[in-house]
Amino acid sequence: MIQSILLWLAAILAAPFFSGLILKIKAFFGGKKGPPLLINYYTLIKLFKKGSVYSNSTTFVFKLGPVISLAATMTALMFLPIAGHNPIFSFKGDVIFVLYILGLGRFFTIAAAMDTASPFEGMGAAREAYFPIICEAAMFMILIFFYRITGELQLSAYFAGNTTQSMWSSVGAPLLFIVLSFFIILLTENSRVPVDDPATHLELTMIHEVMVLDHSGPDFGLIELGSFCKLIFYSTIISRMILPFESSIFGLPIVLYITGLLVVYVAVGLTESVIARYRMDKVPQFVLTSFALAFFATIITLEFVK
Amino acid sequence: MLGGFLSLVLARQKTLSRGIAVLLLSGGSLLGLIDSAGKLLNPGEAWTSFNYLDLFSLSFHVDGLSAFFLTAIFAVSMMAAIYSFHYMENEEGGIKNGVNYFFFSMLIASMALVVTAANILTFMLSWEIMSLSSFFLVIYGHESSENRKAGYLYFVFTHIGAMFVLGAFGLIYGHTGSFDFAPMADVPEAVKILIFVLSFIGFGSKAGVFPFHVWLPHAHPAAPSHISAVMSGVMIKTGIYGILRIYAILDFHTPIFGYITLIAGVLSGILGVVYALGQHDIKRLLAYHSVENIGIILIGLGMGMIGAATGNPLVTVLGFAGGILHVLNHSIFKSLLFMGAGMVLHQTGTRSIDALGGLLKGMKITGTTFIIASLAICGLPPFNGFVSEFFIYMGSFKSIPLGSMTFAMSIFAIISLAVIGGLALACFTKVVGVVFQGEPRTKVAENAKEHGVAMMVPMGILAAACVIIGVYPKVFINMALKAVQALGLDYGQVPVEPFGHITGNITFAALLFLVLVLIILGTRSIYYRKKTVTRSGTWGCGFTQPTVKMQYTGSSYAGSILEFFSAAAPLTEDHPPIKGRFPVKTHYHSHVNDIAELHMINAVVRPVLYLFDKLRWMQHGDIHLYIGYILLTIILLLFFI
Repeated sequence: MIQSILLWLAAILAAPFFSGLILKIKAFFGGKKGPPLLINYYTLIKLFKKGSVYSNSTTFVFKLGPVISLAATMTALMFLPIAGHNPIFSFKGDVIFVLYILGLGRFFTIAAAMDTASPFEGMGAAREAYFPIICEAAMFMILIFFYRITGELQLSAYFAGNTTQSMWSSVGAPLLFIVLSFFIILLTENSRVPVDDPATHLELTMIHEVMVLDHSGPDFGLIELGSFCKLIFYSTIISRMILPFESSIFGLPIVLYITGLLVVYVAVGLTESVIARYRMDKVPQFVLTSFALAFFATIITLEFVK
Repeated sequence: MLGGFLSLVLARQKTLSRGIAVLLLSGGSLLGLIDSAGKLLNPGEAWTSFNYLDLFSLSFHVDGLSAFFLTAIFAVSMMAAIYSFHYMENEEGGIKNGVNYFFFSMLIASMALVVTAANILTFMLSWEIMSLSSFFLVIYGHESSENRKAGYLYFVFTHIGAMFVLGAFGLIYGHTGSFDFAPMADVPEAVKILIFVLSFIGFGSKAGVFPFHVWLPHAHPAAPSHISAVMSGVMIKTGIYGILRIYAILDFHTPIFGYITLIAGVLSGILGVVYALGQHDIKRLLAYHSVENIGIILIGLGMGMIGAATGNPLVTVLGFAGGILHVLNHSIFKSLLFMGAGMVLHQTGTRSIDALGGLLKGMKITGTTFIIASLAICGLPPFNGFVSEFFIYMGSFKSIPLGSMTFAMSIFAIISLAVIGGLALACFTKVVGVVFQGEPRTKVAENAKEHGVAMMVPMGILAAACVIIGVYPKVFINMALKAVQALGLDYGQVPVEPFGHITGNITFAALLFLVLVLIILGTRSIYYRKKTVTRSGTWGCGFTQPTVKMQYTGSSYAGSILEFFSAAAPLTEDHPPIKGRFPVKTHYHSHVNDIAELHMINAVVRPVLYLFDKLRWMQHGDIHLYIGYILLTIILLLFFI
């Protein structure tokens, strides 16, 4: 239990570092030196030192938005097995709860954006409402896949202990599909290229960044921290899927976990360096690919798992 | 039950006095609520019957299922009655209000009678009273032709539905020779399936199942808001009750029933919310959401039926309990939403979403309760919609290993629930964002203030109920389990223990989240104490002259999602392009077509009209020939007897 809480705290604290890594990789591909690796910590500290400016149009929802979205992600992380270790809490059906609590976070992010009366933020909000619909369908398809294999509806039944490893040995091939599908979901849910561009300052091309245009100071810091946590939530799952090995040697699971994380973040950075953002009307097709992959994977299991 | 009668009798005498009517109605409902909730918590059944001239007997029977629906009916009716006190204050015409309250009390009483009726005759009688009294409530604003049209449409649909139900009951009587609602034993399976299909269509048209939902988006905006709350919150649920009751009577567990119910549920669920996204009228939008939620309920019931057919008690109970609990949940948050919409309509005089904006500043209580209800209807934790959806999800997942057809069905159910959830979130962020947030788009929206204690108190109570059920669902799940038990699924006593675990987990997770929110909020407010906080305009990305008209509207918000679903929801747009060097004023108008409505006009209404046009020669006004028709019919019938 203590160990789980420590891992949870460590994941939250380390999340900004890993996100900084993506910037470094992009800079490397662009032939630049790039910002320091700890840039996100500096940004957070800077934001927390500042005061806030609120728009005259806003209400209490605007202030509630960052709090709820951060709390939602932190709750979700509590149910996630980190480095194959048992999560802090776990119950039958917790996956559904986790997905819906992330949905609650999204509701408030959108509501906070709509609160500002800004047409740009409305645009971002509309997109933020749109793409995750398909993502959610894909997520639940993946859950159906996992349920067929494990017969459980629990994050800890998928990613804790040696469960992931035994999954690979029984249905390795379709699981590859799932990894890819999940990577697409990660890119969409965390507003990365090719769905969204977190780097541009052209409001019209963005989804998540444009929604938080009006947040400032510590509130904005909470949002940033929330999005770092969200990225590490999804990355942890993929990390566990690609390096599912269980070991009793002290520290090795953590090392494996971090290696997995590095692979995921480098992959995200690579994707961002080599692909441009899709045109908005192409994005649904891209996201639907993840659903199709998960669907095929599930169909294949019909043969493997009777 | 007595409460319903009491309010009926007394309200009839005092129709002119609004206050007394409200007091009696809500008091009566409260009595009914206490009684039915008591029945649910302490097992026990009640029988009452009256004989009329020995011709037929009116008998009533309250079991777990009836008691559950009674609880929902009385709870919502009570709130709606209190709400109406201030909502109706601006209306003129004593007699019109009197009539309105008379039919309102009739509606409450007849709904209570429908769910307690113990034989076919009683059921049909109460069913018709319910349909007629709600029809008169819909045409309350009969001065406008739109409302009259809505009333007419509702009248036609409800009677065609009743015809199907009557057909099903006729078959039951024909095969059993008894009017009683008793489980049928030796009736051919094909007949049972036919009975189920007929009654499903009949009850489905009341419940608003796609494609029989066409009347809903017309009737709900036409009725006064507290009536919409009752109609959408509980009256359409009597259709669900009918389906469940027939299912219990048929006592025949075939997966076909499950498949029909589930597919109808999926269609209503997804299409309902897609059409809702395209609406500009807030009450029409909510009406389409009723279609969506009926879909979710049916998915749950369908899963339960599949579970019963494959002999898996866990799936059965999870599915049925989820569906039945969603009946209560939907009645709570939907009536709350209609009350919120009613407040907006009452204070601004418009139902158009795109004409409003920024209402949260003037309407704190309405806005906050509306947001809570929106979160609940999206099925987000820690609110009540999540609990029932969670049960349905669990049931659907548990049915995955039960065979290939069931597997396909459960994939269908799970994915559509996920999509419905996402779409509902998009739809309600649209309503909340455009109506309650941002800047007011018109003068009326700018000056809107909330008013009327009698309107705000019920909203507060219902919002509290959303949170309480969301965090402590245990009692309510137990009530739903009692209702499931009444379906006679030959499992005997439904064990409470395993479901107690689920509800315990939900409570725990919800509390965990709330504690985390409070911690962050607390830290934030302490931290912010020393900060400099300034207010200024919204950052316009360098543009310094923004106008409120530049805000994202509901139509633009939903635009791209609707494009994705354009096959099912074709969009008609009216937008003359801007031409020339000095463009003249242009306008934009869009309308989402409901394919059910579109095809029903082309495929059903036109041919029927054509046919009847050709038969017109039969009706000539000659009374002698009419008598001749009657004689001819009787003679013809004599051959068959």
